[in-house]
Amino acid sequence: MLRYIVRRLLYAIPILIGVSLLTFFLFYMSASPEQIARRNLSAKNPTPKQIHEWLAQHGYDKPLSEQFRKHITELFQLKFGNSDATNQPIWERIRTGAGPSFMIASLIFVAGQITYICVALGVAYFRGTYVDYWGTFLCVLLMSIVYIVYIIGGQYLLGKVLKYFPLAGFRGGAEAWKFVMLPMVIGVISGLGGAVRLYRTFILDEINQDYVRTARAKGVSEQAVLFRHVLKNASIPILTSTVQAIPGLFLGSLLLESFFGIPGLGSLLVDAINSQDFAVVRAMVFLGTLVTILGYILTDISYALVDPRVRLE
Amino acid sequence: MNRTVSFLLALLMMTLFALPGCSNNPYPPGQTAQKILYRALGDDPRTIDPSVSYTLDEAAIVDLIYPCYFRYHYLKRDPFVLELNLGAEQPKREPYLYTATENGKTVQKRGEMWTFRIKRGIRFQDDPCFPNGKGREVTAADILYSFRRMADPTVPCPVLSFFEDKILGFADYTAHNRERVKQKLGADYQYPVEGLQLDPKDPYTFRILLNQPYPQLRYLMTMHFTTPQAHEAVERYGKELARYAVGCGPFVLSEYKTKSRIVLKRNPNFHGEFYPTEGMPGDAEAGLLKDAGKPLPLVDAIQYNILKEGVTAWNLFLQGYQDGAGVSQNNFQQVMSRAGQLSEEMRRKGVKLHRDVSANIVYFAFNMNDPVVGGYTPEKRKLRQAISLAIDSQPYIDLFNQGMGKPAEWIIPPGLFGYDPSYKNPYRQFNLQKAKQLLAEAGYPNGIDPKTGDRFTLFFDNTAVDAAGRQFVGLVVKQIEALGIHVESRAWRGNVWQDKVDKGQFQFVRYGWYADYPDPENFVFLLYGPNKRPGPNSSGYDNPEYNKRFEQMRSMDDGPERLAIIKKMRDISVEDCPWIYINHDESLFLTQPWLQNVKPHPIAMDSGKYQSVDGAMRARLQAEWNRPNYWPAVALAAFLFLGSIPAAGVVRQRTHRSARRGPGGGR
Repeated sequence: MLRYIVRRLLYAIPILIGVSLLTFFLFYMSASPEQIARRNLSAKNPTPKQIHEWLAQHGYDKPLSEQFRKHITELFQLKFGNSDATNQPIWERIRTGAGPSFMIASLIFVAGQITYICVALGVAYFRGTYVDYWGTFLCVLLMSIVYIVYIIGGQYLLGKVLKYFPLAGFRGGAEAWKFVMLPMVIGVISGLGGAVRLYRTFILDEINQDYVRTARAKGVSEQAVLFRHVLKNASIPILTSTVQAIPGLFLGSLLLESFFGIPGLGSLLVDAINSQDFAVVRAMVFLGTLVTILGYILTDISYALVDPRVRLE
Repeated sequence: MNRTVSFLLALLMMTLFALPGCSNNPYPPGQTAQKILYRALGDDPRTIDPSVSYTLDEAAIVDLIYPCYFRYHYLKRDPFVLELNLGAEQPKREPYLYTATENGKTVQKRGEMWTFRIKRGIRFQDDPCFPNGKGREVTAADILYSFRRMADPTVPCPVLSFFEDKILGFADYTAHNRERVKQKLGADYQYPVEGLQLDPKDPYTFRILLNQPYPQLRYLMTMHFTTPQAHEAVERYGKELARYAVGCGPFVLSEYKTKSRIVLKRNPNFHGEFYPTEGMPGDAEAGLLKDAGKPLPLVDAIQYNILKEGVTAWNLFLQGYQDGAGVSQNNFQQVMSRAGQLSEEMRRKGVKLHRDVSANIVYFAFNMNDPVVGGYTPEKRKLRQAISLAIDSQPYIDLFNQGMGKPAEWIIPPGLFGYDPSYKNPYRQFNLQKAKQLLAEAGYPNGIDPKTGDRFTLFFDNTAVDAAGRQFVGLVVKQIEALGIHVESRAWRGNVWQDKVDKGQFQFVRYGWYADYPDPENFVFLLYGPNKRPGPNSSGYDNPEYNKRFEQMRSMDDGPERLAIIKKMRDISVEDCPWIYINHDESLFLTQPWLQNVKPHPIAMDSGKYQSVDGAMRARLQAEWNRPNYWPAVALAAFLFLGSIPAAGVVRQRTHRSARRGPGGGR
């Protein structure tokens, strides 16, 4: 297993180089360094001298090959430097933003998985009855609604009409729950339709297996069949579909965070692209790639852990 | 099975017990009853470093922490009035002779010496950068330190050009430091500058020596670039000053949470400033003089909530959790009635409407170097005049600014010296017939180029990528094409567009300018030849007659003579028609009934120290407007509970069902 993980990690290196190369060239193709400088200088009409100084200070005046060498070596040492737009150290920004992002995303993840599995089990238990039909109808309905409608609708209903939760804001510590509830509820409900439909299929795949019939024949109660036997086996596909999302929990959610005023990392990359902050773009793309690769490795490992038929070689 | 039912019951009870703890108030309990202002920001400020910050949003924070020699009178307008802030007396302006080298010869030239004296006893805020953490007294050296910091090449100061070519020896100083920074040495703040002098006898007096008379210097002494800065703070915090502050103003930065909030608190070291005792006619009736003579600031704290989404900010305002809100296309229907008044809903809440007039100009610029539309021959002039006559400002104001704004006749906005409300620009009165006639005289009868027989084509370079932008372009095209001309719109991304404008690769663009200070010079210089691209003169207009008069008026004090010159400049530029003047912006702003002393100022951004709040009223109305509605939650819980009873019955039935009776649950 260890050898497998090491090998997968080594595979990651060329992928990371490739992605960084692509980011580097795409960025230079879309904007010249002068344009980046102009964008990040606050003057109404920056003078050529000021632009030149800015370029020199940020190292954009060097030859492209040297810039790229520096770009790659810094990224692999995880030295992200300072933002081009705000001059803030990028690690500091990531450190302060990852907490709130992780808090919201992990709560949605955990609460979501529990809810989805429970509801899916319930729907599977009542398969073929009115509960199942209505459940299917509701799930398809929920899947058809655009994410942003959940956010605005949730803010409207729970914050504005019923007035249970603040519309936006964030505080740490004991007060955090107040700000986390609404995004959490919205996050869970918005994923409900798709996840329940998917998990229901996983569960039904198992429910028709021979071992289930054997268990029933032996007089095992329906609940025990469902929770002890079916759930365990259905959890293999469920796991693979969720574990890879775990590392990404740190990177936050763009829409949820901007609407609820959560100081996370969700909007960092988009803001950086809009303000042509190359330093942040390359750091976030690199981290995003790293996290995705980690996610896939974690999925493989979890697969091997829960399914004795799978061996990582 | 009983377990399941009791579990559900427990869940139901928990929901019911948790309900009374729910509230949509985003602030800690009791906080909104205090003297604190809640303002909104669309995003984190890029920087709050007083030497770098340049946007209005940033200034609303920076100007409260970093005061200057002068400030604008909070209530007086038309004209704007400068008051002493840190200054102890009006600066003395004297002629000053200096020697300069021109073409290898030494010549005597006439410049100007300004002597400033600041008040004694002003202290910086307490901060660990000072010995024992106690803020020391502010001296004249701290203001000159800010001037020197502007020219530090590692500090991208946006207004350096205002000073660089005017303060004696300043260009030398900046060149010296550029060289040092190139060699990776830090900037040298000790390098002598002839034009920045301390008084050896009096630590509160300083002199600024200029190579030309420059009355606008007084306005620059209101801008946060000229605030006293403590070298201790700059040396200790450096670039961190983008998100940290050490000033001597009415407020100090107390909390900065990226993407969340910025909190300013009253500076205990600050004293000696009072609410104005006089204003404009009508101010007293509007309740703006109720706090006359009271020591400033009137609130203990200001919290800026960073709210990226307009919808969220607007809903928080409706709930009473924000003290003010802008009016945009999204909420216009809800805010305004058909008659252009505040809507019934807003009036019931006691919301107040403010009209905010900007000192700005929005315009279309022709490229005066373009072989087709540029040039100064009578035909080229007539071509531009014809297009100008075909464009009607009112639809732009009605469609894209909710009817807010004033059609512009010339470059100077209302409220500034030189603005003439009775003036009508002969080429800005929409008249299609006259336009067609001028177009024919320009050599394009009915928009046809007789040489080629093709329609005359005007290229309009723009940044319209969204729906609103394309609608705007559509209107421009429609208006100009009424002349028979063909308009070709070319949409670019913002930075590409800017690049094209700077390099003069355009025919026709739309542009805007906001005042840095309320002197007409800050507008008429946009057409001054030597300021051409990449300077602020985007059209590249260069008329020696205009330039000559600009050089005369820029160093004059306001008076009939200056006014006469401005009028002459107006007539010259209107006839040449390098621009099509569209409008001066206005915007609407809403405030809650508990917010007092609100009077938007087009230029000063320090209103936070004058505004006050009735905390008790706010807390009362917030509670009234935000009573949680519990029955839907109770109903939902009850529905789920009742709905689960038949389900529980099914489960029970299935569990106890005999195996023989049915086909089983295997399908």
